[in-house]
Amino acid sequence: MIFFRRTLPLLITFVCGIVFMAQYYVPHPSSEELLTTVNKWLQIIGGFALILGVTSLFHQHAVKIRRQEPGWGYSFALYAGMVGTIAVGLLAKGKESVDGGLTAFGWVYSYTMVPLQGTMFAILAFFIASAAYRSFRARSREAAVLLIAAVIVMIGRVPLGEYLIPISGDITQWILNVLNASVRRAILIGISLGAVALSLKIIFGIERSYLGGGKE
Amino acid sequence: MTFADRMLRLDRRIIFLLVGLCTLIPLLYPVGLAINISSEVRGVYDYIDSLPEGSVFLLSLDFDPASKPELYPQAIALLRHAFRKNLRVLGMTLWVSGTGMAEQVIGQVASEMGKVNGKDYVFFGWSPGVSAIIISMGQDLYKAFPSDYYGRPTNTLAVLQGVKTLRDVNYVVSLAAGTAGIETWYVFGKDKYRFELGGGCTGVIAPGLYPLLRSGQINGLIGGLRGAAEYEVLVGKKGRAVAGMDAQSVTHFTIIILVGLCNVFYFLSRSAQRRSEQHR
Repeated sequence: MIFFRRTLPLLITFVCGIVFMAQYYVPHPSSEELLTTVNKWLQIIGGFALILGVTSLFHQHAVKIRRQEPGWGYSFALYAGMVGTIAVGLLAKGKESVDGGLTAFGWVYSYTMVPLQGTMFAILAFFIASAAYRSFRARSREAAVLLIAAVIVMIGRVPLGEYLIPISGDITQWILNVLNASVRRAILIGISLGAVALSLKIIFGIERSYLGGGKE
Repeated sequence: MTFADRMLRLDRRIIFLLVGLCTLIPLLYPVGLAINISSEVRGVYDYIDSLPEGSVFLLSLDFDPASKPELYPQAIALLRHAFRKNLRVLGMTLWVSGTGMAEQVIGQVASEMGKVNGKDYVFFGWSPGVSAIIISMGQDLYKAFPSDYYGRPTNTLAVLQGVKTLRDVNYVVSLAAGTAGIETWYVFGKDKYRFELGGGCTGVIAPGLYPLLRSGQINGLIGGLRGAAEYEVLVGKKGRAVAGMDAQSVTHFTIIILVGLCNVFYFLSRSAQRRSEQHR
């Protein structure tokens, strides 16, 4: 049925797009109430999306374990970790601590997730240093400018740099506030104009890829 | 293979060892160099300092454990300042994986400052929706969070007396490690509900937020561990951020020296290559 596959979604998108574009400029209580209601829907859909994501992940890794595909051991570790965490999370009613004491869920969070994520991020410092040594070379004028700017900012952002070269702090602030901010702003304006154009194309049914493929 | 070529192919484990030592030694033997205060950090501090007692301060801890070393000290310093000023503190997070940490930091600083949960502060926790939750808070705080993290109905809490929507919040600070974070709070919150907004972030994303700072969309920015150290100095209670600045100083200089050496070896290697090509 082409009506349900194409026409109806396009119609809903058009009506919702126009209504909520107009809603932003209408401060009437009924307009605000409409926004509140729709936001509640969004929160509920967000909750279901989480369930959908977890279910999909479970399914994907269950298949890997069943077929014993290469690396299925990692899938098993993921499965055990997720099932274990969900179980203790449900038992603790989602609370990390009760009356100042850690629950089992809180223990998993504090003593596995926090150090693991922290370690992953900390390792970056070593890899960045190694990558900088190998690839941060003044191969061209542009690369040389980038290199000089990076060195100045690195000096000016730490107390030792400001102690050794007192003006480095001010130069760093100038690079961040003037050069960096203006370039970032130009990029942001470009992205925003692109987003507005894409939104209008979606609202008016010109851009339809979100409807997905398949036979009509 | 020339010496320069060999140095360009230096075993990365040597670099790892060097970075490790440069981080560890200053942590064990700190020097305590003076930390200058930037205008961005002062912007947040001055605004909180100017708020009268009983004002409503919302701290959104939008980060996960990966960014704990940078953003946790920021949260501690901000909370100490807010509680010392006797502000009413509302805590929440837009990152589900940061809920436990957010609850921990608020509880820790509150108990240190002798503040009572529900009377002086509240922790809402996390709710799905990200942008939708901000809009929802702007419409009706009690519909967005009918109960706090501990399951108490929010409309019965003394700390929320007279607070109905985000319009009643005097100052919002988002401590962000990415999206959702400061930009989300600006686009879906401040732009519509007209509260003052400040930010704190990891060093990596700080340069990307300068356009918001310069245009006044946020009134201050605490960037990375350095920003946290500056705030600790302003609050007058030095903590982990100040302790980490020596390590960061030495590591930055190590990387600068490494990059400098790499460029020297690169040019030496290139000129040697050219000379050998000319001889042929």
